[in-house]
Order: sequence, then structure tokens, then C-alpha cells
Amino acid sequence: MRSDHRARHLRTERYALGLFSATFRAPDLASGILPGQFVMLDVPERIRPYLRRAYSVADARPESGEVEFLVKTVGPGTRALEELPEGSEAALLGPLGNSFSVAGLSAGARVAVVAGGIGAAPFPLLYRALGRAGIAADLFLGGRGEKDLAFRRRFDGLVTGETVLATDDGSLGEKGFVTEVFRGRARQTRYTRVYACGPMPMFRALAGVTRELAIEAEFSTEAEMGCGFGACLGCVIPGVEKPFLVSCSEGPILAPEKIAW
Amino acid sequence: MNPLAVRLGPLELRNPILTASGTFGYGLEFTDFVDLSKLGGLCTKGLSLEPHAGNAPPRICETPAGMLNAIGLQNVGVEAFLAEKLPKLRALGATVIANVWGDLEEDYVTVVEALEEAEGLAAVELNISCPNVSRGGMLFGNSPTLTASLVAKVRAATRRPLIVKLSPNAPDLVLSARAARDAGADVLSLINTVVGMAIDPETAKPRISFGTGGLSGPAIKPIAVRMVYQVARALPGVPLMGIGGIARLEDVLEFLAAGASAVQVGTASFRDPGVSGRLVEELATYCIARGATAASLVGRAHAGGRPAAEAGAEG
Repeated sequence: MRSDHRARHLRTERYALGLFSATFRAPDLASGILPGQFVMLDVPERIRPYLRRAYSVADARPESGEVEFLVKTVGPGTRALEELPEGSEAALLGPLGNSFSVAGLSAGARVAVVAGGIGAAPFPLLYRALGRAGIAADLFLGGRGEKDLAFRRRFDGLVTGETVLATDDGSLGEKGFVTEVFRGRARQTRYTRVYACGPMPMFRALAGVTRELAIEAEFSTEAEMGCGFGACLGCVIPGVEKPFLVSCSEGPILAPEKIAW
Repeated sequence: MNPLAVRLGPLELRNPILTASGTFGYGLEFTDFVDLSKLGGLCTKGLSLEPHAGNAPPRICETPAGMLNAIGLQNVGVEAFLAEKLPKLRALGATVIANVWGDLEEDYVTVVEALEEAEGLAAVELNISCPNVSRGGMLFGNSPTLTASLVAKVRAATRRPLIVKLSPNAPDLVLSARAARDAGADVLSLINTVVGMAIDPETAKPRISFGTGGLSGPAIKPIAVRMVYQVARALPGVPLMGIGGIARLEDVLEFLAAGASAVQVGTASFRDPGVSGRLVEELATYCIARGATAASLVGRAHAGGRPAAEAGAEG
């Protein structure tokens, strides 16, 4: 059940300037969370930022009770988390939202994970589930340059398929948008499903690719959230079948054909 | 006897802690965090005759000690509320106050009529103060003449306790309050959000697609306390519900002292979804420790300020 978990901050690991991993001890959450779900994190005793921030759970280890987040510092909320001293407490409201589905894939199916920059955040936990199910999943990790791909080493030993890196400036991996690199591979390899997370322009381009190649897709969307559990209706995304989809409570995992691009 | 029970005109509540419209969904979003039957009441998302899609994103933006929103009254419509939400709320033992809005007077009246035969509604709250829609909403609240006309028509359409939610953006709050009272409002709730704006310094565009938004959270608490105090002073005997930045027991006590007989917890529920239920418990502990009733804590600031224990000894 959803609740507000008091969690002790165990450690912060830095991957690059403004890219870090924060790990908390929250045993109930660690054993209950599904890939793609998120929490609203509160750093206590502060006036600003006023609202909590939404973070996808990057990894959870029921055996140690640890929950990990991969974070890019973009503003006062993420900075408060980056500066949170080890040993201090935070409140993790969750698990929230729906999850990536691993069901319905036959053993031997090949799937893909496409992540842009900090969009890598939810995928270590998904890879654990794919690994348990024996599903081969190729990882396409893209960014503007090498620095944006600093989280790639977080996937060492987790990826159940091939890892393909792409940068806009060609400083690491293939040169070009990750969506185009994915498109090239997907014309040769038949992917049953693609899981994706990244910025809006990446989603828009990828929606075109998955439509063109008729690949089932699950996008981990994010709009700025006020509450995280469907009460404030702040985080809406224009929809196809209805005017708006509520990202936090109807998502965050949404099929691209439901979104009005 | 329940020391927390309060009476606001015809409306009797088990305690003075409610949740504010627009910040508590339909209540059902909060059942993992709050026992709805323990609250004094919950005010639903503003209901309109037809389902309403609301404004384009971005709809919210964080600000110092609060937030701006221009959700635009997205709601399921009164019919779906009655069919899908209210039965569940009744089963959970919630005291439900239906918040109602419309573009035109007739819209308000039609919604209130649709609610009239429903079982399990404690009161109706009229939203004449939403700043985030292009028609209706705040327009009614900003003119005492329009307020009086609307409230009189709704008054004639319902036997239920009628609450009118006032706008801090009205040119003269006391005039609006008097107009609503004289037209038949049983209770006044105040304040709705304060019109504000935030601009992205990089793009020089408003951070909210609607342009302006309603400011809520601790940032507006002193404004709300002043307005409750002011209306309580001008219209003694009119029951008030205080709203604006309430997150802690001290905030509840402050609004009661200013003259509110009950309070509505708003934006704090986004950040801390269990806060309203905890405030009920904290107020109970406070009253028991002092031998006070919640009712005895109302309006103390107007009596020149008295310690709660002394007020409690009389209550």
C-alpha cells in the first residue's frame, strides 16, 4: 500500500558534475516497488522548495531494504537532494503510478530500452525484472555528449542484451540522435516491445519510429507534478481519447498512441 | 460530549478540520493516507454541469512558500460525481461538501438542483472565486451585485446548508461577504487563491499556460488570517471557515482565534497527504490537555486575546 516512508539517506555516489545516485534505506518500499514506479520525495525542514519532487525508483533491493534514485541536478529540488547529508532522513511517498509491464513477453523475445540522458533513471530496476524473466533487452543510451552518458556504468552487469551508445556530438558511441540509431537497429532486429524514458523531443521522435515499425511501446512520461497521486491535476499531458492524461495517476507509463503529440 | 464538535449555523461538524476544494480531489485519492470519516468534512473538486477538461499544461508552478495553479476546474461533472464518487464517499463515512461552479447563474442552479436529491451530502459550497477560468468563477465574486443575485438564486434551489467561498481578489471583501450573507448564505469560506504570476526569466514567458494563476500555500496565510479577522469583525455571528496556508496545529489555532469556526486544509495536502487527519488528532490532544472545546477557541483574538485554558474554562 502507498504510504509516506521515513527513509534514512545512506549514500550519494557521483557519476559526473550534477549527475548522482542517492540511496536510502526504506525496506517496505524496497520490497513493494515495481519497475517504472516513482516516489514523491520530501527533504524535511525546508520552506523552499515547497513541493515534493517526483523520482522514478532506479533500483530496489528487498534483501538490504535499499532504494536508489538516479538524479540530475536541475533546480532547487534536486539540489536539496544532492546536498542531503548522509544519515539524515527524508520522506518517500510511494509507491506511486503504474509500472512497466514485463508480462506478455515470451521467453526468447527481444525488447529494447531507449533512454535519453537522465531518462536512464528507471531502468536498472526494469533490467532486474527482465533478467529474472530471461528476456534479452538491448540498451540504447543517448545524450548530447559523453557527460550525459555518465550513468552508463550503472548498467554494468545488468543489461541482458547489447548496449548501444549514441551522442549528438559524436563524443561517445555512434554520432546522432539515439532515436535514429535505434531506428536503424530496429529495421534489422525485430523488437517485440520498447521501453523508453527521456525528454519530450526524444519521445516525439521515438513515437514516430515505433509507429512506423509497429513496435509496441511504453513511455515513462513526466510532467511537473504537484502531488504525485492524482489530486492536484497539475501534471497533465494532452491525450488522444480524452483531452488530458494525468501523468502521475494514469501513468507515468503511457503508450505513445494515447498521447497527442 | 465531543469536545471538537462545532456548529456553523445549520451545519454541524464532528470537528473543525476540513479539506479545501481543489486540493483533495474527490477524497478517494487520499484513502491510503487519511481516514475520511475522521475529518470534519471534505470539499470536493469544483463540480460543473458537464465534465470539464481544464486548462492546457503547464498548469502549476512552485513559488516561494507555495505554488501557483491554473488547473481550470477540470472535473468529472455532477452526474459522474453522483454516480461514481459520492456512493464510495458515503460508504467510507465521509462528511461531503459539494463544491459547485459554473459559467452562468443557471449553471450553478442546475448543478445544485442535481445535487439536491442525493443522499450523503452535508452542504453545498459555491465557488464564486476561481481565478483560473475565463468566464464565471471569480467574476461573480468580484461584484457584490452579482454575488447577491447568484446566491439568492442558489438559495432558492437548495435546502442544504449553503457555503459561499469568497475571493481575496474582490475589491471589497466585506461588501462581498455581506452581499452573500444577506442573499442567504449560511456560512462563508475564505479565502480562495490570490491571483499571481510567475515568469521564466530565460524565455520571458509565463510559467503557467493560462498566464496568471492562483497562489496558495503558506505564502498567503497572513492575508487569509487578516481577511477572516476582518469579516468576523464586520459581520459578527456569521459562521466562517478559514482557508489559506494551513499546515500545522498553530495555523488552525490562529484561524480559530481570528474568528473562523472551522478551517479547510488546502495545498498542504499535496505535499503531505496525511496532514488533515493528523491535525484532527493534534487538535484533540490540545483541547483535552487544556480542558477546552474547539468552539471555545473561536474568535479569541476579538476578545483582546485570551489564553486557551481560560477560554476553555468557560467552554
